[in-house]
Amino acid sequence: MRFQYYEPTSLTDAVDQAARFGGEGRFLAGGTDLMIQIHRGVLRPRHVVSLDRVPDLAAVEASGETILGAMVTHRDLEHHPALQGRLRALVEGAEVVGGHQIRNVATVGGNVVNASPAADVVAVLLALEATVVLLGAGGERVMPLAGFLLGPGSTARRPEEILTAIRFPALVGPSASAFLKAGRRRAMEISLVCVAAVLALDERTGRCVAVRVALGAVAPTTVRAHAAERVLEGRMPTAGVLREAGRAAAGECRPISDVRASARYRARLVEALVPRALARCLERIGAAA
Amino acid sequence: MTKVALTLSINGERHEVLAEPDRTLLDVLRHDLGLSGTKENCLEAECGVCTVLVDGRAVNACILLAAQCRGREVLTIEGLARDGKLHPLQQAFIDHGAVQCGYCIPGMILSAKAYLDEHPVPTEAGVREALAGNLCRCTGYQKITDAVLAAARELAPER
Repeated sequence: MRFQYYEPTSLTDAVDQAARFGGEGRFLAGGTDLMIQIHRGVLRPRHVVSLDRVPDLAAVEASGETILGAMVTHRDLEHHPALQGRLRALVEGAEVVGGHQIRNVATVGGNVVNASPAADVVAVLLALEATVVLLGAGGERVMPLAGFLLGPGSTARRPEEILTAIRFPALVGPSASAFLKAGRRRAMEISLVCVAAVLALDERTGRCVAVRVALGAVAPTTVRAHAAERVLEGRMPTAGVLREAGRAAAGECRPISDVRASARYRARLVEALVPRALARCLERIGAAA
Repeated sequence: MTKVALTLSINGERHEVLAEPDRTLLDVLRHDLGLSGTKENCLEAECGVCTVLVDGRAVNACILLAAQCRGREVLTIEGLARDGKLHPLQQAFIDHGAVQCGYCIPGMILSAKAYLDEHPVPTEAGVREALAGNLCRCTGYQKITDAVLAAARELAPER
């Protein structure tokens, strides 16, 4: 490793330094991806700017809209009291990442910027229709997470921009979220497939009024399963309808075959896990009623 | 590359180190401070042999820069024994035959300590989950789990 290291103590300083370094600089959050890529020689930044000591980036705000600071760790998500109810999918996505050593340092901002198609928490954020907040020399930009993720490891972030926060609207009424992941072991595992679901029912009729399903590890980015969502919208969420949504999701996803699983197996996992995640949402809505 | 002066607090002692800013905590512990109890293996945060506690939390020292630890308290395996007496976790690992080749054990013990500090009344499932980021290739997991549960019973009266 050969780089200079900086620990700015304000966002302004961090942005200024990054603007000066351009493509030769990298921001360091938890380091669970960056340090490994540097060690492997895949990335060779000459300047590393740590966000560790920038104040206020590690806060979770949950009054109405939820705002997750970029430096909120996976451990923080697991334990935050405001996420244990309707937003439980975030806890479920966070608690299956790596082991404790990873979750104690790996951040939600780093997870989003790293843009792995298999990122568990990113799938949940996509289902929550999150937007990302970016701060650069030219000021702040806000954009939907779905438009921010461009491909494996690729995002719309400019080199000097800091992803400062991730926001998403509150879930209200009879609604819930759930996250499921398939892997060979329960820890230290990259998802073969992961599924995040958010479901809201009409209070009076019990029909699905808002359905959002996101899939991980079946496309170049984490993706929404829009066809599956359309199957459910306006209908009663019967077991048959949930299975139909699973088949739609399996039909629309575009997985690859690699060392961890074949494309066909991944599609079958999607078909099984989508109805299961939606059923878990229904259980939770029932429990809350 | 220009070296920088780092003041690190390790096992309750202040250490002044002159090191390049891109050096990991693992590297500085082992090579500058001679604290070789923290092991080096995958260097990719996969195996857990380099686990140390920073402000009480288990982290992989192979992906943490020494410079990031300024102002924080680092605990390594060398800091567990008190007055020549092994920590109850260390003694329990010996008593339960939990150590085979030994290479993963410092990391196992520190992960276990972080867990027991937060969960004084542990469960077997909880112990296994707490150690999920620490790999043992001698397949000694059952005895390791037994040792952690026994250590928790030993530690209980102290709380």
